[in-house]
Amino acid sequence: MPELDVAELKKVGTIQQRDKEYFVLRLRLAGGNTNSADLRTVAEIARKYGRGDIHLSTRQGIEIPYVPADKALEARQALEDAGLQMGACGPRIRVVVACQGREICKWGIIDTKSIARRLDAEYFGQDTPHKFKFGVTGCPHNCAKASENDVGIMGGLYPEWQPDNCTRCGLCVSVCPAQAIIQDGARFTLNEEKCLYCSICTALCPQNSWRRKAEGYLLTIGGTMGKQQRLGDKLTGLLTDLETVYKLVQKIVEYYRQNGRKRERFGQTIDRLGLARVRGELLDGFSD
Amino acid sequence: MDFPISKSLDLSGVTCPLNFVKTKAALAQIQSGEYLEVLLDEGEPLLNVPRSLKDEGHTVMRVTPQDTRFKLIVRKA
Repeated sequence: MPELDVAELKKVGTIQQRDKEYFVLRLRLAGGNTNSADLRTVAEIARKYGRGDIHLSTRQGIEIPYVPADKALEARQALEDAGLQMGACGPRIRVVVACQGREICKWGIIDTKSIARRLDAEYFGQDTPHKFKFGVTGCPHNCAKASENDVGIMGGLYPEWQPDNCTRCGLCVSVCPAQAIIQDGARFTLNEEKCLYCSICTALCPQNSWRRKAEGYLLTIGGTMGKQQRLGDKLTGLLTDLETVYKLVQKIVEYYRQNGRKRERFGQTIDRLGLARVRGELLDGFSD
Repeated sequence: MDFPISKSLDLSGVTCPLNFVKTKAALAQIQSGEYLEVLLDEGEPLLNVPRSLKDEGHTVMRVTPQDTRFKLIVRKA
Protein backbone atom coordinates (compact mmCIF):
# COMPACT_ATOMS: atom_id res chain seq x y z
CA MET A 1 0.00 0.00 0.00
CA PRO A 2 1.47 3.41 -0.98
CA GLU A 3 2.14 5.99 1.73
CA LEU A 4 -0.81 8.42 1.65
CA ASP A 5 -0.27 12.14 2.24
CA VAL A 6 -3.63 13.01 3.77
CA ALA A 7 -3.20 16.79 3.44
CA GLU A 8 -2.23 16.52 -0.22
CA LEU A 9 -5.12 14.16 -0.94
CA LYS A 10 -7.57 16.61 0.62
CA LYS A 11 -6.60 19.19 -1.99
CA VAL A 12 -7.91 16.89 -4.68
CA GLY A 13 -11.13 15.85 -3.06
CA THR A 14 -9.88 12.67 -1.47
CA ILE A 15 -10.92 13.03 2.13
CA GLN A 16 -10.14 10.70 5.00
CA GLN A 17 -13.24 9.53 6.87
CA ARG A 18 -13.73 9.44 10.64
CA ASP A 19 -12.76 5.81 10.32
CA LYS A 20 -9.26 6.38 8.92
CA GLU A 21 -9.39 3.13 6.96
CA TYR A 22 -11.73 4.82 4.46
CA PHE A 23 -11.75 7.79 2.15
CA VAL A 24 -14.51 9.82 0.56
CA LEU A 25 -13.98 10.75 -3.07
CA ARG A 26 -15.47 14.16 -3.81
CA LEU A 27 -16.16 15.05 -7.43
CA ARG A 28 -16.04 18.37 -9.18
CA LEU A 29 -19.23 19.61 -10.81
CA ALA A 30 -20.03 23.15 -11.93
CA GLY A 31 -23.46 24.25 -10.81
CA GLY A 32 -24.52 20.70 -10.00
CA ASN A 33 -24.74 19.72 -13.65
CA THR A 34 -23.93 16.19 -14.68
CA ASN A 35 -25.27 13.65 -17.16
CA SER A 36 -26.37 10.05 -17.42
CA ALA A 37 -23.03 8.77 -18.73
CA ASP A 38 -21.06 10.34 -15.87
CA LEU A 39 -23.61 9.14 -13.32
CA ARG A 40 -23.24 5.60 -14.64
CA THR A 41 -19.49 5.90 -14.17
CA VAL A 42 -19.98 7.20 -10.63
CA ALA A 43 -22.38 4.38 -9.87
CA GLU A 44 -20.00 1.78 -11.19
CA ILE A 45 -16.98 3.13 -9.28
CA ALA A 46 -19.00 3.43 -6.07
CA ARG A 47 -20.01 -0.19 -6.47
CA LYS A 48 -16.55 -1.45 -7.42
CA TYR A 49 -14.41 0.48 -4.94
CA GLY A 50 -16.82 1.59 -2.21
CA ARG A 51 -20.00 0.08 -0.78
CA GLY A 52 -22.23 1.35 -3.54
CA ASP A 53 -23.18 4.36 -1.44
CA ILE A 54 -23.31 7.82 -3.02
CA HIS A 55 -23.77 11.07 -1.12
CA LEU A 56 -25.04 14.32 -2.61
CA SER A 57 -23.12 17.11 -0.90
CA THR A 58 -24.52 20.39 0.34
CA ARG A 59 -22.81 22.14 -2.59
CA GLN A 60 -24.38 20.10 -5.38
CA GLY A 61 -21.44 17.75 -5.51
CA ILE A 62 -21.21 13.98 -5.58
CA GLU A 63 -19.23 12.07 -2.97
CA ILE A 64 -18.36 8.39 -2.95
CA PRO A 65 -17.75 7.24 0.62
CA TYR A 66 -16.22 4.06 2.02
CA VAL A 67 -13.38 3.68 -0.45
CA PRO A 68 -10.71 1.69 1.44
CA ALA A 69 -7.41 3.57 1.89
CA ASP A 70 -5.51 1.02 -0.22
CA LYS A 71 -7.97 1.51 -3.09
CA ALA A 72 -8.34 5.30 -2.94
CA LEU A 73 -5.69 6.15 -5.53
CA GLU A 74 -6.86 3.44 -7.90
CA ALA A 75 -10.48 4.55 -7.60
CA ARG A 76 -9.50 8.15 -8.22
CA GLN A 77 -7.54 7.13 -11.28
CA ALA A 78 -10.55 5.21 -12.56
CA LEU A 79 -12.73 8.32 -12.15
CA GLU A 80 -10.17 10.50 -13.92
CA ASP A 81 -9.70 7.96 -16.71
CA ALA A 82 -13.45 8.18 -17.31
CA GLY A 83 -13.19 11.95 -17.66
CA LEU A 84 -14.47 12.90 -14.22
CA GLN A 85 -12.62 15.45 -12.15
CA MET A 86 -11.96 15.51 -8.45
CA GLY A 87 -13.42 18.16 -6.16
CA ALA A 88 -11.57 20.24 -3.60
CA CYS A 89 -11.31 20.58 0.15
CA GLY A 90 -9.31 22.89 2.42
CA PRO A 91 -8.28 26.54 1.94
CA ARG A 92 -9.02 27.00 -1.73
CA ILE A 93 -11.71 27.87 -4.22
CA ARG A 94 -14.50 25.31 -4.06
CA VAL A 95 -17.07 24.04 -6.52
CA VAL A 96 -19.45 26.66 -7.87
CA VAL A 97 -23.08 26.30 -6.84
CA ALA A 98 -25.79 27.46 -9.24
CA CYS A 99 -29.51 27.12 -9.84
CA GLN A 100 -30.91 26.13 -13.23
CA GLY A 101 -31.13 29.74 -14.35
CA ARG A 102 -32.71 31.21 -17.44
CA GLU A 103 -32.31 28.10 -19.58
CA ILE A 104 -34.74 26.08 -17.44
CA CYS A 105 -36.51 28.23 -14.87
CA LYS A 106 -39.36 30.58 -15.77
CA TRP A 107 -38.01 33.16 -13.29
CA GLY A 108 -34.36 32.91 -14.32
CA ILE A 109 -32.95 36.21 -15.59
CA ILE A 110 -29.31 35.23 -16.22
CA ASP A 111 -27.56 32.21 -17.70
CA THR A 112 -26.27 30.71 -14.47
CA LYS A 113 -24.86 27.59 -16.12
CA SER A 114 -22.41 29.36 -18.38
CA ILE A 115 -21.36 31.68 -15.55
CA ALA A 116 -20.79 28.70 -13.24
CA ARG A 117 -18.75 26.94 -15.93
CA ARG A 118 -16.60 30.00 -16.51
CA LEU A 119 -15.95 30.63 -12.80
CA ASP A 120 -15.17 26.94 -12.37
CA ALA A 121 -12.75 26.90 -15.31
CA GLU A 122 -11.00 30.05 -14.16
CA TYR A 123 -10.80 29.62 -10.39
CA PHE A 124 -11.56 26.11 -9.19
CA GLY A 125 -8.97 24.65 -6.82
CA GLN A 126 -6.83 27.77 -6.53
CA ASP A 127 -5.36 28.45 -3.09
CA THR A 128 -6.92 31.18 -0.94
CA PRO A 129 -6.44 32.13 2.75
CA HIS A 130 -9.45 30.02 3.74
CA LYS A 131 -12.14 28.24 1.78
CA PHE A 132 -13.73 30.44 -0.86
CA LYS A 133 -17.09 29.81 -2.49
CA PHE A 134 -19.01 31.10 -5.48
CA GLY A 135 -22.78 30.93 -5.78
CA VAL A 136 -24.76 31.90 -8.87
CA THR A 137 -28.52 32.34 -8.77
CA GLY A 138 -30.78 33.27 -11.66
CA CYS A 139 -32.98 35.83 -9.95
CA PRO A 140 -33.74 37.44 -6.59
CA HIS A 141 -35.74 34.42 -5.47
CA ASN A 142 -32.19 33.36 -4.58
CA CYS A 143 -32.88 29.61 -4.64
CA ALA A 144 -29.14 28.94 -5.02
CA LYS A 145 -28.52 31.14 -1.94
CA ALA A 146 -25.88 33.21 -3.71
CA SER A 147 -25.60 35.60 -0.76
CA GLU A 148 -24.38 32.77 1.51
CA ASN A 149 -21.24 32.58 -0.61
CA ASP A 150 -17.98 34.52 -0.49
CA VAL A 151 -18.98 35.84 -3.90
CA GLY A 152 -22.61 35.72 -4.96
CA ILE A 153 -23.89 36.57 -8.42
CA MET A 154 -27.64 37.08 -8.77
CA GLY A 155 -29.68 37.93 -11.83
CA GLY A 156 -31.89 40.98 -11.58
CA LEU A 157 -34.36 42.89 -13.71
CA TYR A 158 -34.92 46.60 -13.39
CA PRO A 159 -38.52 47.46 -14.35
CA GLU A 160 -40.11 50.61 -15.68
CA TRP A 161 -43.75 51.58 -16.02
CA GLN A 162 -45.23 52.83 -19.29
CA PRO A 163 -48.71 54.35 -19.16
CA ASP A 164 -49.83 53.40 -22.69
CA ASN A 165 -51.78 50.16 -22.16
CA CYS A 166 -52.13 50.30 -18.37
CA THR A 167 -55.67 49.67 -17.10
CA ARG A 168 -54.71 50.68 -13.52
CA CYS A 169 -55.81 47.27 -12.27
CA GLY A 170 -53.41 47.58 -9.33
CA LEU A 171 -52.07 44.02 -9.51
CA CYS A 172 -48.48 45.32 -9.45
CA VAL A 173 -49.06 47.15 -6.15
CA SER A 174 -50.51 43.98 -4.60
CA VAL A 175 -47.89 41.50 -5.83
CA CYS A 176 -44.68 43.49 -5.35
CA PRO A 177 -42.99 41.66 -2.44
CA ALA A 178 -41.12 44.79 -1.40
CA GLN A 179 -44.03 47.24 -1.60
CA ALA A 180 -41.85 49.20 -4.00
CA ILE A 181 -44.68 50.14 -6.35
CA ILE A 182 -46.92 53.03 -5.42
CA GLN A 183 -50.06 54.16 -7.22
CA ASP A 184 -50.19 57.91 -7.48
CA GLY A 185 -53.52 58.74 -9.12
CA ALA A 186 -53.34 57.36 -12.64
CA ARG A 187 -49.59 56.78 -12.44
CA PHE A 188 -47.48 54.02 -10.93
CA THR A 189 -44.05 54.78 -9.58
CA LEU A 190 -41.17 52.61 -8.45
CA ASN A 191 -39.30 53.20 -5.22
CA GLU A 192 -35.84 52.35 -6.50
CA GLU A 193 -34.43 51.95 -3.01
CA LYS A 194 -36.91 49.19 -2.24
CA CYS A 195 -36.95 47.39 -5.62
CA LEU A 196 -35.57 43.84 -5.41
CA TYR A 197 -35.14 43.51 -9.21
CA CYS A 198 -37.21 40.31 -8.94
CA SER A 199 -39.30 40.70 -12.14
CA ILE A 200 -42.60 39.73 -10.51
CA CYS A 201 -44.21 42.99 -11.69
CA THR A 202 -43.06 42.58 -15.29
CA ALA A 203 -44.02 38.89 -15.34
CA LEU A 204 -47.52 39.43 -13.96
CA CYS A 205 -48.57 42.80 -15.40
CA PRO A 206 -51.60 41.91 -17.54
CA GLN A 207 -50.87 44.67 -20.05
CA ASN A 208 -47.06 44.55 -19.99
CA SER A 209 -47.11 48.13 -18.80
CA TRP A 210 -44.36 47.15 -16.39
CA ARG A 211 -41.53 46.11 -18.64
CA ARG A 212 -37.84 45.49 -18.54
CA LYS A 213 -35.72 48.60 -18.52
CA ALA A 214 -32.48 46.74 -17.87
CA GLU A 215 -31.35 43.35 -16.69
CA GLY A 216 -28.09 42.23 -15.28
CA TYR A 217 -26.13 41.05 -12.29
CA LEU A 218 -26.08 41.82 -8.59
CA LEU A 219 -22.87 41.01 -6.74
CA THR A 220 -22.59 40.19 -3.06
CA ILE A 221 -19.37 39.70 -1.14
CA GLY A 222 -18.45 38.09 2.14
CA GLY A 223 -21.32 35.67 2.62
CA THR A 224 -20.68 32.56 4.66
CA MET A 225 -22.52 29.97 6.70
CA GLY A 226 -20.62 27.80 9.15
CA LYS A 227 -19.54 28.88 12.61
CA GLN A 228 -19.74 32.62 12.05
CA GLN A 229 -22.68 33.12 9.76
CA ARG A 230 -22.88 36.21 7.68
CA LEU A 231 -24.90 37.15 4.61
CA GLY A 232 -23.07 38.79 1.74
CA ASP A 233 -23.00 42.56 1.39
CA LYS A 234 -24.17 44.15 -1.84
CA LEU A 235 -21.10 45.32 -3.70
CA THR A 236 -22.83 47.31 -6.43
CA GLY A 237 -26.19 48.06 -7.96
CA LEU A 238 -27.34 46.19 -11.05
CA LEU A 239 -24.40 45.58 -13.38
CA THR A 240 -25.42 45.19 -17.00
CA ASP A 241 -22.08 44.07 -18.41
CA LEU A 242 -21.00 40.51 -17.63
CA GLU A 243 -17.35 41.24 -18.40
CA THR A 244 -17.42 43.90 -15.67
CA VAL A 245 -18.72 41.21 -13.32
CA TYR A 246 -15.84 38.89 -14.23
CA LYS A 247 -13.29 41.69 -13.77
CA LEU A 248 -14.74 42.47 -10.35
CA VAL A 249 -14.66 38.81 -9.36
CA GLN A 250 -11.00 38.63 -10.32
CA LYS A 251 -10.29 41.72 -8.25
CA ILE A 252 -12.21 40.31 -5.28
CA VAL A 253 -10.22 37.05 -5.33
CA GLU A 254 -6.92 38.94 -5.60
CA TYR A 255 -7.98 41.31 -2.83
CA TYR A 256 -8.83 38.42 -0.52
CA ARG A 257 -5.50 36.75 -1.26
CA GLN A 258 -3.66 39.95 -0.38
CA ASN A 259 -5.72 40.97 2.63
CA GLY A 260 -7.24 37.82 4.11
CA ARG A 261 -5.53 36.18 7.06
CA LYS A 262 -5.04 32.46 7.29
CA ARG A 263 -8.31 30.70 8.16
CA GLU A 264 -10.22 33.96 7.93
CA ARG A 265 -13.23 33.85 5.64
CA PHE A 266 -13.64 36.81 3.31
CA GLY A 267 -16.64 38.07 5.29
CA GLN A 268 -14.51 38.30 8.41
CA THR A 269 -11.83 40.12 6.40
CA ILE A 270 -14.50 42.63 5.40
CA ASP A 271 -15.64 43.02 9.01
CA ARG A 272 -12.04 43.50 10.18
CA LEU A 273 -11.19 46.11 7.53
CA GLY A 274 -14.61 47.75 7.29
CA LEU A 275 -17.11 47.35 4.44
CA ALA A 276 -16.76 50.94 3.21
CA ARG A 277 -13.01 50.56 2.81
CA VAL A 278 -13.23 47.14 1.12
CA ARG A 279 -15.98 48.30 -1.21
CA GLY A 280 -14.05 51.47 -2.06
CA GLU A 281 -10.86 49.56 -2.83
CA LEU A 282 -12.67 46.94 -4.90
CA LEU A 283 -14.66 49.45 -6.93
CA ASP A 284 -11.78 51.86 -7.47
CA GLY A 285 -11.51 52.30 -11.23
CA PHE A 286 -14.75 50.47 -12.04
CA SER A 287 -17.86 51.89 -13.67
CA ASP A 288 -20.87 50.26 -15.29
CA MET B 1 -65.27 52.18 -13.96
CA ASP B 2 -67.62 49.41 -12.91
CA PHE B 3 -67.44 46.07 -14.61
CA PRO B 4 -70.64 44.09 -15.19
CA ILE B 5 -69.91 40.79 -13.45
CA SER B 6 -71.23 37.68 -15.21
CA LYS B 7 -70.01 35.20 -12.61
CA SER B 8 -68.49 35.22 -9.12
CA LEU B 9 -66.16 32.69 -7.56
CA ASP B 10 -64.97 32.51 -3.94
CA LEU B 11 -61.64 30.66 -3.85
CA SER B 12 -60.89 31.32 -0.18
CA GLY B 13 -58.90 28.40 1.17
CA VAL B 14 -58.50 26.83 -2.28
CA THR B 15 -54.82 26.20 -2.97
CA CYS B 16 -52.77 26.13 -6.16
CA PRO B 17 -53.26 24.71 -8.68
CA LEU B 18 -56.89 23.85 -7.93
CA ASN B 19 -57.79 27.54 -7.68
CA PHE B 20 -56.73 28.07 -11.29
CA VAL B 21 -58.54 24.93 -12.43
CA LYS B 22 -61.74 26.30 -10.87
CA THR B 23 -61.07 29.72 -12.40
CA LYS B 24 -60.73 28.17 -15.84
CA ALA B 25 -63.94 26.17 -15.36
CA ALA B 26 -65.78 29.38 -14.38
CA LEU B 27 -64.36 31.23 -17.40
CA ALA B 28 -65.63 28.42 -19.62
CA GLN B 29 -69.16 29.30 -18.51
CA ILE B 30 -69.04 32.95 -19.64
CA GLN B 31 -68.62 34.60 -23.01
CA SER B 32 -65.53 36.28 -24.43
CA GLY B 33 -65.33 39.87 -23.20
CA GLU B 34 -67.45 39.16 -20.11
CA TYR B 35 -66.18 39.62 -16.57
CA LEU B 36 -65.50 37.05 -13.87
CA GLU B 37 -65.04 38.05 -10.25
CA VAL B 38 -62.65 35.85 -8.23
CA LEU B 39 -61.78 36.02 -4.55
CA LEU B 40 -58.21 34.73 -3.95
CA ASP B 41 -56.11 34.21 -0.84
CA GLU B 42 -52.96 36.27 -0.37
CA GLY B 43 -49.56 34.69 -1.05
CA GLU B 44 -49.09 32.00 -3.70
CA PRO B 45 -52.63 32.21 -5.14
CA LEU B 46 -52.21 35.91 -5.91
CA LEU B 47 -48.91 35.21 -7.68
CA ASN B 48 -49.91 32.06 -9.54
CA VAL B 49 -53.47 32.64 -10.72
CA PRO B 50 -52.82 36.02 -12.41
CA ARG B 51 -49.71 34.61 -14.08
CA SER B 52 -51.64 31.63 -15.44
CA LEU B 53 -54.48 33.92 -16.57
CA LYS B 54 -51.93 36.04 -18.44
CA ASP B 55 -50.44 32.91 -20.05
CA GLU B 56 -53.90 32.00 -21.37
CA GLY B 57 -54.63 35.49 -22.66
CA HIS B 58 -57.22 36.63 -20.10
CA THR B 59 -56.87 40.08 -18.56
CA VAL B 60 -56.96 41.04 -14.92
CA MET B 61 -58.87 44.33 -14.90
CA ARG B 62 -58.90 45.19 -11.21
CA VAL B 63 -57.35 43.95 -7.98
CA THR B 64 -58.88 45.01 -4.70
CA PRO B 65 -57.23 43.97 -1.42
CA GLN B 66 -59.75 42.71 1.15
CA ASP B 67 -58.00 41.90 4.43
CA THR B 68 -56.04 38.69 3.67
CA ARG B 69 -57.75 38.15 0.33
CA PHE B 70 -57.85 39.86 -3.01
CA LYS B 71 -60.85 40.39 -5.26
CA LEU B 72 -59.91 40.11 -8.92
CA ILE B 73 -62.00 41.10 -11.89
CA VAL B 74 -60.98 39.16 -14.98
CA ARG B 75 -62.02 39.80 -18.55
CA LYS B 76 -62.34 36.62 -20.57
CA ALA B 77 -60.22 36.51 -23.74
